Amino acid sequence: MTTNPAGGVHDAARRVVLTGFGVFSSIGVGAAEFAEGLRSGRSGAKPITVFDTEGFEHTNGCEIRGFEPERWIRNLDAAQLGRASQFSVAAARMAVQDAGLDPADLREQRGLISIGTTDGESWDLDRLVASQLAKGSAEMDRSIAGRIRAGRLSASIAQELGLTDVEAVTIPTACAAGNYAIGYGFDAVRSGEADYALCGGADAMCRKTFAGFYRLGTIAPERCQPFDIDRKGLLTGEGAGVLLLETLESALARGARIYAEVLGYGLNCDADHQVAPLESSVARCMELALENAGVKPEEVDLISAHGTGTKANDVTESRAIRSVYGTTPPRTVSVKSMLGHTMGAASALAAIACSLAITHGFIPPTINHASTDPECEIDCVPNEAVEADLRIVQNNGLAFGGNNAVVLLGRYEA
Amino acid sequence: MTGPLITDWSAVSPYGIGRAAFEEGFRSGRTTSVPLENEDWLVGERADTEACLVPGFVIKEVLGKKGTRAMDRVTGLVVTTVGRLLDTTGGPLPSEDPDEDTALVLGTTHGSHKSMVDITRDTLTDEKPYYINTAHIPNAIGNASAGMCAIWYGLKGPNATIAAGRNSGIATLNYGRRLLATGRARTVLCGAAEEYTTDRSWLEWHTRGADETGTVLGEGCAMVQLRAPAADGRGDDDALAEVLGVSSGITGPDGVAAGLETVVGNALRRAGIGREEVWAVSASAPAGEAGRQELKALDALFGDLDPLTLGRPGQIGDTGAATSAFQVVATLTAAQDSARAAGRVAVLTSVDRDGALGCALLRMR
Amino acid sequence: MANVTAEQAATIKEIVCEILELEEDEVTGESLFREDHGADSLRAIEILASLEKEFKVTIDQAELSRMVNLNGVYEVLAESAGW
Repeated sequence: MTTNPAGGVHDAARRVVLTGFGVFSSIGVGAAEFAEGLRSGRSGAKPITVFDTEGFEHTNGCEIRGFEPERWIRNLDAAQLGRASQFSVAAARMAVQDAGLDPADLREQRGLISIGTTDGESWDLDRLVASQLAKGSAEMDRSIAGRIRAGRLSASIAQELGLTDVEAVTIPTACAAGNYAIGYGFDAVRSGEADYALCGGADAMCRKTFAGFYRLGTIAPERCQPFDIDRKGLLTGEGAGVLLLETLESALARGARIYAEVLGYGLNCDADHQVAPLESSVARCMELALENAGVKPEEVDLISAHGTGTKANDVTESRAIRSVYGTTPPRTVSVKSMLGHTMGAASALAAIACSLAITHGFIPPTINHASTDPECEIDCVPNEAVEADLRIVQNNGLAFGGNNAVVLLGRYEA
Repeated sequence: MTGPLITDWSAVSPYGIGRAAFEEGFRSGRTTSVPLENEDWLVGERADTEACLVPGFVIKEVLGKKGTRAMDRVTGLVVTTVGRLLDTTGGPLPSEDPDEDTALVLGTTHGSHKSMVDITRDTLTDEKPYYINTAHIPNAIGNASAGMCAIWYGLKGPNATIAAGRNSGIATLNYGRRLLATGRARTVLCGAAEEYTTDRSWLEWHTRGADETGTVLGEGCAMVQLRAPAADGRGDDDALAEVLGVSSGITGPDGVAAGLETVVGNALRRAGIGREEVWAVSASAPAGEAGRQELKALDALFGDLDPLTLGRPGQIGDTGAATSAFQVVATLTAAQDSARAAGRVAVLTSVDRDGALGCALLRMR
Repeated sequence: MANVTAEQAATIKEIVCEILELEEDEVTGESLFREDHGADSLRAIEILASLEKEFKVTIDQAELSRMVNLNGVYEVLAESAGW
């Protein structure tokens, strides 16, 4: 028996740890490069090329260039997968490898695959619509039509890795989806119903969502400046983050490297407005996560905010944090300042960022920051990473539809 | 240990709006397919000539004008079904008496396909690419229906959306079961929905295999109410069925039939249920080879026992992601009519073209 | 009164009423969208977007703070369109 950082006692068979990461992001591919990008405050912002931006006045985004799915996708034909599925499958393959596992090791075990997304294969869907407009409904691009179902983001991972005794679900709970996926894996592994879980999120940048955010006035002209007095909105981004979850017992038995422990999570719904976040409900979700993890607010060393860089989000989220944490909340950063808003992948990539911060002892900065908005009364660790001994980190994910999900991660201590 | 209990359900289906309409239609066995030429709400040229539609489903007439101006069809179906299940009218303004203990878990292909392509279409056809219909922007996100339901009925508990193809309905039972087991909710409304639109008709038409021609599309939403059993077993008289277990899998190189046999075998073993306890089997029964493989697996497993065989859940067409949710409510309906059902087990299976396999075991009360 | 014709004003009012789900006699030049008619920020942006498309103009989102009632909308639109 061991004591977890929160002071609760858990059997190693019921503690859930993170032992492998797959990362595709605009600031780095793979856990090591991603950690280096986070530490150096790298920006993924650049002109968008993955779809036509003519007619939009601002056209920056955080896209991934030079993605080579064939390097990671060996058993499936990458051309039969949409771009988001290519990201999710490649990231899952990488996570298994990073965990020091062979897919064959997993085939004998019972697994769960949960992949969050906002847009699914909407990048492909944009192109399907263009082909329909050009050629008519009867002549639209059949090869695209066949690969756009959202369920494929998770099912394709199982097929690529040859996993059959596995529950594969895609969780399209928009911009909180990565945290939902991690939470679902946590419950399945902790209850003993799954031996391992591959959880995370994936999205490919698309015109549909860019246009939507643009029309709502929430696309920043050049860069994303969360919590800044002059913030002008978000930048859309893309990529995938997949985490391998297993019990502490399993990780110890095979001598695996443990990045961090999943301590618990909370889910709730604003039930208030389709797109505007509700402060009281966001705060309640953090409380639910803290309760579930058995963690007191004063034990939390860092918050990774949803932090989109929009006027509404950053004020609402900062206030919610202060209502839970009081007048001296833990340092609160937004990795979206670097990665952009990677939608369904956002909270999965942020959870990986939190774990790497715990492992390597630093706090990733909120870049592009000049002057903190007095309405956002938090220390966002402007521009430069700082060294820090982190034991417990909170990862926030908020979404349209009022879908909130907050995950608590801790340093593994034997 | 007793599994979670299904205590109520409702549906909006081609048989009509509400549970009674589904029960009546299912028992009658009548077909619901209608020619599309009279459906003037459907815009544009369609791939189909007929479909199984929810009769007279005009959102502003069913739910009222307030708050429904920009509501898409699938959200209308879900909001209507959940309203029937909760036996309340709800409304678009945030509730003054919200419920933190009730979760909503909705299965979907990926929200409203039409709402998504409408936005892209606007960006490509209007003078400026951002001349899109602002009110429709929230609809183009996959969780829009579940989020809207939360607003209408003040549901502040966990609100999740699940996409697992035809297996989505069964997957929501498992998600709901875990929410109850971990104390994240006291009641879970789970089910799945699919809408019929011109855009879906074309998408399906282009993706159908040679063995799937002749498929008639359907639409609708089916939702059940799930709650944990009482600690002492008292007060559970309202239960219609117990969820004994849910197992899932992905089709491997051995094919659908072998994969499904394993999944069902796992479900029985994990729940400690013997084959002889099986009263009925319900297959998702997609067109073509996948459907034949599903029946082959069920026949290999249970053929000698001669269980009641519930094929496709009523004559309501291919309801896509809603299929296995409709299997659940069809099974509950059939159980009411069978003297042999009480205390015995129904095996529900689903197979999906993208590989998802599912099995839910329900013990009928 | 801003420099809009009766015809333009009628079109604007029709758009606003459609979005706010109101009958035309429920709205006056002075009645406030948010306080009197329950509009939220999404509806406000929708009004702006619909006017941009209808009148082929670009309206700075910063002007939303002035577009609180019909008279405000008339003014902002007239300025943005250079009427």
